[in-house]
Amino acid sequence: MSDFIQSLDPRIVRLQVREDQPFEPKEAGDQWETYEVFHQAKTGARLIHVGSLHAPSPDLALVFAKEQYGRRSTTTDMWVVRTADIFTLHRQDIDIFETAQEKLHREPQGYMEVRKYIEEFKKRQQQEGTSDGSEAGSH
Amino acid sequence: MDPKQEAIKELLIKMADDQLIIGHRHSEWIGLGPILEEDIALASIAQDKVGQSYTLFQLLHDQFGTADPDTMGFLRAENEYRCCHLVEYPNGEYDFSLIRHFLFDHAEYHRFDMLQGSTFEPIRGIARKFKSEIKYHILHADVWVRRLGTGTEESHQRMQAALETAFPLALGIFEPSPYEQVLIEENIFPGEDALRQRWLETIQPILEEASLQMPDPSSVEPAYGGRRGYHTEHLAPLLEEMSWTLRYDPEAERW
Amino acid sequence: MYGGGYIPGSASPQETPKEDPEKLAEFEEKINRGEKIEPHDWMPYEYRRQLIRMIEQHAHSEIIGALPEGTWITRAPGFKRKLALMAKVQDEVGHAQLLYSAAETLGKSREQMINDLLSGKSKYSNVFNYPAKTWADAAIIAWLVDAGAIINQTTNSKGSYGPYCRALERICWEESFHLRYGYDTVVALATGTKKQRQMVQDALNRWWRPIMHFFGPPDKISVHTEKLVRWKVKLATNDEMRQQFLNMYVPKIRELELEIPDPILHKDPETGKWVYSDPDWDEFFRVINGNGPCNKERLAVRKKAEMMGQWVRRALHNPRQQYVTPLA
Repeated sequence: MSDFIQSLDPRIVRLQVREDQPFEPKEAGDQWETYEVFHQAKTGARLIHVGSLHAPSPDLALVFAKEQYGRRSTTTDMWVVRTADIFTLHRQDIDIFETAQEKLHREPQGYMEVRKYIEEFKKRQQQEGTSDGSEAGSH
Repeated sequence: MDPKQEAIKELLIKMADDQLIIGHRHSEWIGLGPILEEDIALASIAQDKVGQSYTLFQLLHDQFGTADPDTMGFLRAENEYRCCHLVEYPNGEYDFSLIRHFLFDHAEYHRFDMLQGSTFEPIRGIARKFKSEIKYHILHADVWVRRLGTGTEESHQRMQAALETAFPLALGIFEPSPYEQVLIEENIFPGEDALRQRWLETIQPILEEASLQMPDPSSVEPAYGGRRGYHTEHLAPLLEEMSWTLRYDPEAERW
Repeated sequence: MYGGGYIPGSASPQETPKEDPEKLAEFEEKINRGEKIEPHDWMPYEYRRQLIRMIEQHAHSEIIGALPEGTWITRAPGFKRKLALMAKVQDEVGHAQLLYSAAETLGKSREQMINDLLSGKSKYSNVFNYPAKTWADAAIIAWLVDAGAIINQTTNSKGSYGPYCRALERICWEESFHLRYGYDTVVALATGTKKQRQMVQDALNRWWRPIMHFFGPPDKISVHTEKLVRWKVKLATNDEMRQQFLNMYVPKIRELELEIPDPILHKDPETGKWVYSDPDWDEFFRVINGNGPCNKERLAVRKKAEMMGQWVRRALHNPRQQYVTPLA
């Protein structure tokens, strides 16, 4: 009995732990694979990546994700996907998202002058009408 | 008290005791589980169980004037507890802990499902809320039992052995109460026999999928006694430990 | 929760490969602009090494830290405390999970990290090498050690490595529950019966020194490379954090009429800094080198837990699985 650690924690006393408890170093794969977790906080919201976890299979990944990533927030949906199944770019190629030129032709800001043209058009129409004089009386 | 009230009270106390003691046992795994993710999952289940017990003791206090939840949960004499023997046993290893959790939670799920239709109105809403928590508990238990039952030779043998140990204890969940007849006639609860039947029908196919052999219920001696206050040698030390701090200073009003 | 506190290690750069000056300049510029570094970005060897060391030790501190507090899970007084302590220790395990994941993104597997913890190669926060003798010790840990951790972690969450910052953001949020819970528990004892007050005073006496050690040795004897500050790996000095802690918590402790076991502790009106007794840094180094009251127990218990779980993990191991480092 005295061989076991006399812990202050009754749980540890029951586990009967020796000071020289043997340990086999973990081999690769001991902690299984990793999954990425996506969480939706309310209906209508997007699912957002919230982190990763270790699991041996998708069913357990979901069981684990529910508590590790859902226990402290409202949850309306949750997805898990094996990290190995996610495709992304090499980091050195991430600059393909930097655009060289202005891309005003596909931005709303590229089309902000319609009012100006309409006002000019109206002014022109009015001036034409005044100089012509033909319908002035009817207004 | 009339027998109907006595019957409801007895039913609530045994449910509250079961939840508290199994939650306490699960909590012993916190920080010591087989992998971090599972540690977190079981810790949540432990909290749900203790939380459900708390709610039930609160209900008992409000409806029947029993002592406050802490006194009821932590400070009664051992023979006043009505939990079944299944929940009292030490955790042992993860095999026994999981099989116990599996057997217990399937029974709980059906129990609260039945109570949703009870003529004892205050339990109905509570039962509905508990059921969604327990749904996760059985999802958790089922995945593990299936995976470990069909995992390695070692895991299969361990789970089978744990099942054989836990099964007679689990049958003790359904030890009839002295008030079965009242509960059934008053449509409060359809009774332990009906519950046991539904439980057997649910667990059998899952155990089969897990390649585990369920012992024949008719050839097993159920571990009865808990519902009448006769407990295993494991309960007294558990209660002594659980109430240690509260008893350290009985004068204290708040901890 | 535990923010690791101060954990010594080989902070001095060892043989580091020569870095490409152009890439290095770009990297430093990015940090300067307040941008974050993400897992697959180019980073100097020394940056990666220091971050792995720091995040890994932080993760170890969480999982080891679950042990002293876990000591009181089965004896927590009453339903509310029992539920809260379970939730708190669960959070610590959850923090370890988040932090190991953050460290993994830098290329060290969880298996390697756990092996290094259990072989003694990698350290954890020294504060967890002390025992939690009574319920009040668990209360003091939840209040004051977590308070220290929050200061440490809030500081680190402004660092430069994206995954670590994201993990810390969530951790700090959960810590705020721990701190409130811890404070409430200490207040209950300090405003309670004579016996309860004595219990919490004794616990404070036991924990004050480890808490003073928590932020690490004084700046004048600890080495920080200027580079780690520039790279936003180290964001505040040990003394700065200790002063912040004393500022925030000494008044709160004194309000409860608890006595802090340091007769000279006071704030110097001229410098505005707290003056305190030497908390015996020799003891600090003695404990961190394995000779504290609980070092052996903590590691033996972790080994036992890992070995008990081995058959479970093996049963679910899929031989076709391939380990990929988590993405973010």
